[in-house]
Amino acid sequence: MADLKILAVDDSPTMRRIIINTLKRAGFHDVTEATDGKDALAKLKVDRYNFVITDWNMPEMDGLTFVTNVRSSAEFSSLPILMVTTRSVKDDILQAMRAGVNNYIVKPFTPDTLKQKIEQTILNAS
Amino acid sequence: MVHDNQVPDSLKRELTDLTRAIDEVVCHFKKTQYPFEDSNEKVPEATHQLENITRQTEEATHRVLDMVEEITGGISDVVQDLKVLRKALPATYFKNRSKVRDTFERIVEKVEKSQDNAFAIMDALQFQDITAQQMGHTAHLLDEVEAKLRLIKSMFSDQNQNEQDSDSQHQSFDPNARYDLSNENQVRVDNLLESVKQGRTD
Repeated sequence: MADLKILAVDDSPTMRRIIINTLKRAGFHDVTEATDGKDALAKLKVDRYNFVITDWNMPEMDGLTFVTNVRSSAEFSSLPILMVTTRSVKDDILQAMRAGVNNYIVKPFTPDTLKQKIEQTILNAS
Repeated sequence: MVHDNQVPDSLKRELTDLTRAIDEVVCHFKKTQYPFEDSNEKVPEATHQLENITRQTEEATHRVLDMVEEITGGISDVVQDLKVLRKALPATYFKNRSKVRDTFERIVEKVEKSQDNAFAIMDALQFQDITAQQMGHTAHLLDEVEAKLRLIKSMFSDQNQNEQDSDSQHQSFDPNARYDLSNENQVRVDNLLESVKQGRTD
């Protein structure tokens, strides 16, 4: 699992930095960052990732639209996607699941939660 | 032509009252116009201030992150050096040196605790993303107030409104964003996800 190639998508430079540091502490060192859904889609077309962590509220292209776009492609239909967002109302979570999100974390998160959710997502995907 | 002495007194009184009422309305109009102008200028100023706060807290957060990364990097080096030192000492070194051994173990424990504390600081800095969203939401609400004020002003003014729309390129935000350290939200989300997986949704 430590050899996961992760794409971390968040418009907040602070959050990207925290997520990347947290991932490194958990043993995930191959992490690329993207600033929003549009940037993430462009990166997915160029390089091969086997895990995506994405925020929801982002400019240009929000996380939900990004996930919908990703799932519309057969190439990424089984790409594990973990949403990390402040949104926690039931309708939002159900909407995210319907769009194709595999797992969901509410900000602020603990490092243990992030690691556990990644492992859980990979396990469920395999 | 009607001469003054032909206008009934009652009509004169009515006209006088009407004129007075119109004067009062015009006077009130003029009084409210100033606050509208003032608010119309102060709202963008408030929005700009919110954006400044977000930018400045983001800059400060990154400075703290720089320091935390330096601290945790330094601590990792110390931990590695302690391991190297431990391995370099003969296996029997601590046998009759319990004080040295205890001190060594205390150093390792304190160093690891300092590293945990540094990481906890980093984790707490997530507040900056959440407060930025809250301020983005407030800026958005101020934009709406400003738009309404402009609309009302245009109704009173006989001039065309040529003012530019306010800059609506604010931070993307969740209007319900909260900095909540309890695990309740995550537990609720996990329970909902479990229900979805089991095919149970209310």
